[in-house]
Amino acid sequence: MYGTQWPVVLLVTPLVGAALTPIIARRRAQLAGYWALFTFSIVSLAAAALTYQIHTQGEFSYYMGGWAPPIGIELRFDEFSASIAVICLVGWLSLLYCLGYAKHAIPERRIPYFYALMLLCLGGMNGFAVTGDIFNLFVFLEILSLAGYALVAITGDGIAELAAFKYLVMGAISSLSILLAIGIMYSLTGTLNMTDLAVRLSDVEPFPAAVAVAALTLGFCVKAALFPLHIWLPDAHSIAPSPVSAVLSGLVVKVGVLGMLRMFQILYASQVLDLTALNNVLMWLGAISIVMGALFAMVQDDIKMMLAYSTISNIGYIFLGLGLASTYGIIGASVHIFNHAIIKACLFLGAGSLIHQTGYRKLSDLRGVGKAMPITSAAIAVGAISIVGIPPTAGFLCKWYIALGAIEADRLFFAVALLFGALLIFVYYIRMLNAFYFMPPSHPEILEVGEAPLTMLIPIVILAILCLVMGIFGRIPLSFIEPAVINMLAPIGG
Amino acid sequence: MKALWTNIDYVASVVLLLIGLYAIMAKGNLVKKLMGLNIIETAVFAFVMAAGIVDGGDAPIMGPGANPPFANPLPQGLILTGIVVAFSTSALALSLIIRIYARFGTIESEELWGVE
Amino acid sequence: MRRVLTLALLILASVPLLYGVAKLPPIGSVDNPAYTHVVPHYLEKGPEETGCENIVTAIILNYRGFDTNGEVTVIFTSLMAVFGVLLAAKKAKEQPGAIETPVSPVTHFIVRTLAPFIVVFSAYMIIYGHSTPGGGFQGGTIIGALLIATSLVVGSKHAQTFLPEPIRLWLQPAAVLTFTVVGLVGMLLLGKYLSYPVDGAYLFLRVPFLTAIEFGIGIGGAAIVASVFWAMEGSIE
Repeated sequence: MYGTQWPVVLLVTPLVGAALTPIIARRRAQLAGYWALFTFSIVSLAAAALTYQIHTQGEFSYYMGGWAPPIGIELRFDEFSASIAVICLVGWLSLLYCLGYAKHAIPERRIPYFYALMLLCLGGMNGFAVTGDIFNLFVFLEILSLAGYALVAITGDGIAELAAFKYLVMGAISSLSILLAIGIMYSLTGTLNMTDLAVRLSDVEPFPAAVAVAALTLGFCVKAALFPLHIWLPDAHSIAPSPVSAVLSGLVVKVGVLGMLRMFQILYASQVLDLTALNNVLMWLGAISIVMGALFAMVQDDIKMMLAYSTISNIGYIFLGLGLASTYGIIGASVHIFNHAIIKACLFLGAGSLIHQTGYRKLSDLRGVGKAMPITSAAIAVGAISIVGIPPTAGFLCKWYIALGAIEADRLFFAVALLFGALLIFVYYIRMLNAFYFMPPSHPEILEVGEAPLTMLIPIVILAILCLVMGIFGRIPLSFIEPAVINMLAPIGG
Repeated sequence: MKALWTNIDYVASVVLLLIGLYAIMAKGNLVKKLMGLNIIETAVFAFVMAAGIVDGGDAPIMGPGANPPFANPLPQGLILTGIVVAFSTSALALSLIIRIYARFGTIESEELWGVE
Repeated sequence: MRRVLTLALLILASVPLLYGVAKLPPIGSVDNPAYTHVVPHYLEKGPEETGCENIVTAIILNYRGFDTNGEVTVIFTSLMAVFGVLLAAKKAKEQPGAIETPVSPVTHFIVRTLAPFIVVFSAYMIIYGHSTPGGGFQGGTIIGALLIATSLVVGSKHAQTFLPEPIRLWLQPAAVLTFTVVGLVGMLLLGKYLSYPVDGAYLFLRVPFLTAIEFGIGIGGAAIVASVFWAMEGSIE
């Protein structure tokens, strides 16, 4: 009877862990880090068990309070919920990285709150990924967003608070847009459960449903920072402490994508609207995002700013894949959620180590760092190669699938746009690697610095290895997600 | 047109929503932007509450003397949660404004773009 | 120029919104899907299944209790966020601007006289939340407001002696912790997180569960509201 309580462990542990963090860290602030890591290890265990369960027995549900939906809240575990695995993987490695990083980078008085917020942000994301109730989705969205806004401002350096405020205003508008959509859908159907909603949406007035879909799309696109709604992202992601950037860029923007996937699940199943127009908009915005993100990234000198713009490019790939509405496209997009999280976390953590050790954050100042910090630089190089999508690394297969999806959907133009984008991305990552390895150092003392402490080095190395391994065994996540996507597209004959 | 009149509560919240959006987009003062956000919050809450209105409905409290029809209790419960979310967002936004003012000495966004 | 553009954009956006809301089910009708699908279950079975005469309380604490668990986490998150953003990075020197100026004796007198009544009122709201309008969060906010009023009258340093730091640390997460405890007890006894007994041997636990959660939310809410105020005012080091 108690063997099936993993969902509770997954969702409740981070909340309790966060609630107890200030108490535990009262006398020694550094204890907070170990406590957070311990708590999150339990969560990761639960996530692993649940992912395995999804893999072996397919979809299953957990009824909170024992009330069957639509009376109560349902947690639904399907293949898309398996994103808890990547959330826990990247989250756990970022927390490990924090052990070495937070000591110097974050004011000591704020360290307990920093870890509490990290736990809440990651826990909120887990909740978002597994809930089967749209209002519960909104609640978890708010937990993770609030924690995210605060994490951006936690160092209090430079324009951190300003960036956080901009993020907060945009984020709050998008949350309210999502709540408005929930209100419209509730008024139309009288239910909040996603499965029930998919059934009951099929015979409602289409126009209000279209307004709800537009509001949801707007909300999730802001969260995902799709061009032109990306304006909050570069400042927020570059000014945040590096492990936070890794979590925000690798995971939090994906919340928007997951939300879109959930929405599409409901819409394809209910057949209430013809989604061609929406898909076209998403495709175009995705393609523009790829190109604009890459162009902006090219002119950045600040390494974290460059990575932040690169996130916009990659979100473009994912939305392009979603908009294609073909099996290959959506599989590629879903797996890119996973791969991009690993790659971007690797890059941001690596960049964080460089900044932490050298004190410089501009590419022109970081010249020659490849010799001073060989392991970190090599890991960043692996990350850069995978994000460009050169085989046999992790980034290749999903971009290949999205391109196949474009061909499958008879949209050759977008396949070309995708390749062009990859070329642009290649150019600016080459520029970075060139600065690291082949340019004479502009600050000679940079050659004196050594590698970062082990707690910071290990996560980067693990992530870099994963970038390679996921390239070689890339078929596993693809075949894992495939049944869910085929299932989702079945009603439209995809 | 008649449908707009029956759904006048929804129309009111749409208008409120637009007023709030205007405040956020057109006003430069960060506190005014936050107030715009609060107006949008109120608008959305009013919208969801309006979905739960029942003509002549009583408060959904059972017990002796209660007589149907009752108002829809679910939106009320949801918006209770929404209000807490709004409180939390406002608290954080105000804290950020306090820090921004302490650092830059202004909360006018035109002047703040300069420091960025 | 910017204003004109904004206005034009908003008016453009208003057309589909207004057209959309005109097509929504008419407000107030008892035949709306919002009123006929799930809600009848709450209204008809609510008092019997949950023991709450107030159906709103039945929904937020029992049927959709997990939402409220998330809600108390949101407010706790906001406290962590406010502390993370506001608490001085370094130990600050004695702040000259801290509000310790005495207010007028009239205000002082009014707050002092009303304080006991306010406490009783909020306790009533918390205890009777399941059968009358009110509930834990409302009651807690009232106490929080009282603490803020007291801070304004007697100074924050003095008001904080009602909630010294070690106690405050335990009270701030009170709501999250009570929810977890009640949820886990429900899980161990009845099989699912946040289960309440509907009938059977454990029925006597239903009222203690509800009361514990209401008090948890109330106390946690009060501590958080007051702490947010103190952090903003700068009186917490």
